[in-house]
Amino acid sequence: MDTYFLKNEDIFKFYDHINQKYDLFVPLKLKTTLKVKCDYGFDLPSEDYYLKKYSQADKAEIVFNDYRPIEPARTFFTHFKEEICAYFADDKEKSLKERPIAVFGLKNCDLFSLKIQDFVFLGGSEPDPVYKERRENALIIASDCLHFKEACFCRAFDINPHPTEGFDFNLSPLNNGYVVEVASSKAKVIAAALKDIFTPATLGQLSGRSAKRESVIRRLDEHLDAHKIPKKEILKDIVVSGYNSPVWQEQMHTCVECAGCVLMCDTCHCFLLADEALAENARRLRLWDGCLFKNFTKVAGGANPLKMRYMRLRNRYLKKFNFFIDNMGIQACCGCGRCIDVCPGKIDIRYILRRLYEEKYLPAA
Amino acid sequence: MKKNIYQPLKATIEEIIQETPTIKTFRLKPEADFSFATGQFIELTLPGIGEAPFTPSSDPKVKDRLELTIMNAGQVTCALHNMNKGEVVGIRGPYGLGYPLDKFKGKDILIVGGGVGLAPLRSLLFSLFSDIDKYNKVIVRYGSRSPSDIVYKDSIPKWIKKDKVDFLVSVDVGDPSWAGNVGLVTTVLNNLPVNLNNAVGIVCGPPIMMKFVTLKLLDLGFKPADIYLSMEKSMSCGLGKCGHCRIGKFYACKDGPVFTYEQLKGLPDNYL
Repeated sequence: MDTYFLKNEDIFKFYDHINQKYDLFVPLKLKTTLKVKCDYGFDLPSEDYYLKKYSQADKAEIVFNDYRPIEPARTFFTHFKEEICAYFADDKEKSLKERPIAVFGLKNCDLFSLKIQDFVFLGGSEPDPVYKERRENALIIASDCLHFKEACFCRAFDINPHPTEGFDFNLSPLNNGYVVEVASSKAKVIAAALKDIFTPATLGQLSGRSAKRESVIRRLDEHLDAHKIPKKEILKDIVVSGYNSPVWQEQMHTCVECAGCVLMCDTCHCFLLADEALAENARRLRLWDGCLFKNFTKVAGGANPLKMRYMRLRNRYLKKFNFFIDNMGIQACCGCGRCIDVCPGKIDIRYILRRLYEEKYLPAA
Repeated sequence: MKKNIYQPLKATIEEIIQETPTIKTFRLKPEADFSFATGQFIELTLPGIGEAPFTPSSDPKVKDRLELTIMNAGQVTCALHNMNKGEVVGIRGPYGLGYPLDKFKGKDILIVGGGVGLAPLRSLLFSLFSDIDKYNKVIVRYGSRSPSDIVYKDSIPKWIKKDKVDFLVSVDVGDPSWAGNVGLVTTVLNNLPVNLNNAVGIVCGPPIMMKFVTLKLLDLGFKPADIYLSMEKSMSCGLGKCGHCRIGKFYACKDGPVFTYEQLKGLPDNYL
């Protein structure tokens, strides 16, 4: 992989160049008065970043996001609500020609999740044409995490807070610029066009990057020690054996059924094909759906295998840690902690997994 | 451009047969020939209303027509029941794995249906009848709530008379005109004329009936791998992507909708 150094003052040249061909999304800081304090001694940041379409007007506010943005990566590839095709073959075809997107600010957790999304939407008997087109044309500009949120727990599942695969570019901040890794042929073309601002990275810069990466890992590991999250190898085991655990009902006492956890989830992929009746004709829509919604599995006769809230919570864990491990070999959880941040009921995946582990392996004497 | 996988094919309602007060059979004429294997399902789309999964009840050998026997139960089916001949609907599919006819060859085939669950089984019966020499015999036990809830009233007497076919109907509650058996379908599963060493059981019906029939068949000595169940789930995409129809490590839409009990037996009670 080619490695370059890009100075801070040249980053906008990089953005401008990409923006010519792509719809570029860049990180901005979310202005909110909400502060979440970590209550066991760590002084962790609580600001959030969001990704916005690049515009000269926002120039002063564009930042480097120290950790993952607020929205899941899949928002760029399957939209929350979109027309998926012309209703019938002889209806006017919805134009699939969209401007390709470039996303700056995705982290390694997001790249892990895109593997799950790819498995679902590109795999199987036939790929999803809309997802495929967007995904193949997109430019992923990933970056290292310099910090982490209280809810971050990627390392618990051996996912590092810096990307090593699955991106076109990866940016690692160092001193007065970025170490840029150029992975794909698409990215190489861009790097070649920008050779004035891309200088080959020095060995010193590479070891500087390693030191920074190790420091983040060390601090994150220390933070995660307190949570005692089970190892990824044992997730399937504890979720299956914990089928009748009291933890499901107990944790759902505070659930308000907003389904924020599934909608903010980086790896959740469920959707519903729905019709929208318009005066002239109907439209075929694809909407994000999720198993925390009451009617997710309801059938026409009225039977609903997931009629209780605790069943729906359990279903989510079985899907992530049983179904995906069986079918794909990896758990459908990247440790981004978005479900923890979004939950008004403070339902915490780290705590639930720990409880399932302790109930099986450390039962009270 | 390649056809979009979510795009339905137009089909015109050609004939509507009132089977029972709540069940109608719709004969559709698709815009282009439409093939399916018995037991596979399709997504039926009503423009502006929505989609629902159904298993065709017609003979898979017929490519230019498709029949669906549907109970008025939910949003889509209610709208469908209010439609008339000549109106246009959409169909997508077929999806999933149907009945493995190859594995049934030379065997005693026990078919247990409940209510509108006879619909997919009718398509299976057509397939079996057209190649009846390949199978040892076909035993059908059909349970219905009352005599008026029996579907395919015209066809059943013809099927009963067929060679190598043993067809019995039971109703949960009889009426003065009913001369047949009264009782749940499980009550007509004793002393079956089947050779258990060379038999398969195929079950389709409401979830509660499937559960008790499966238990009964196991009790009679059917092997879990020889019991075939049609699983009812709220499939949306039919392509193993939308996530609605998960059953353990399977998706009903791509690994089913026909499963053997062997595949499902380790799962908790509600198959999740």
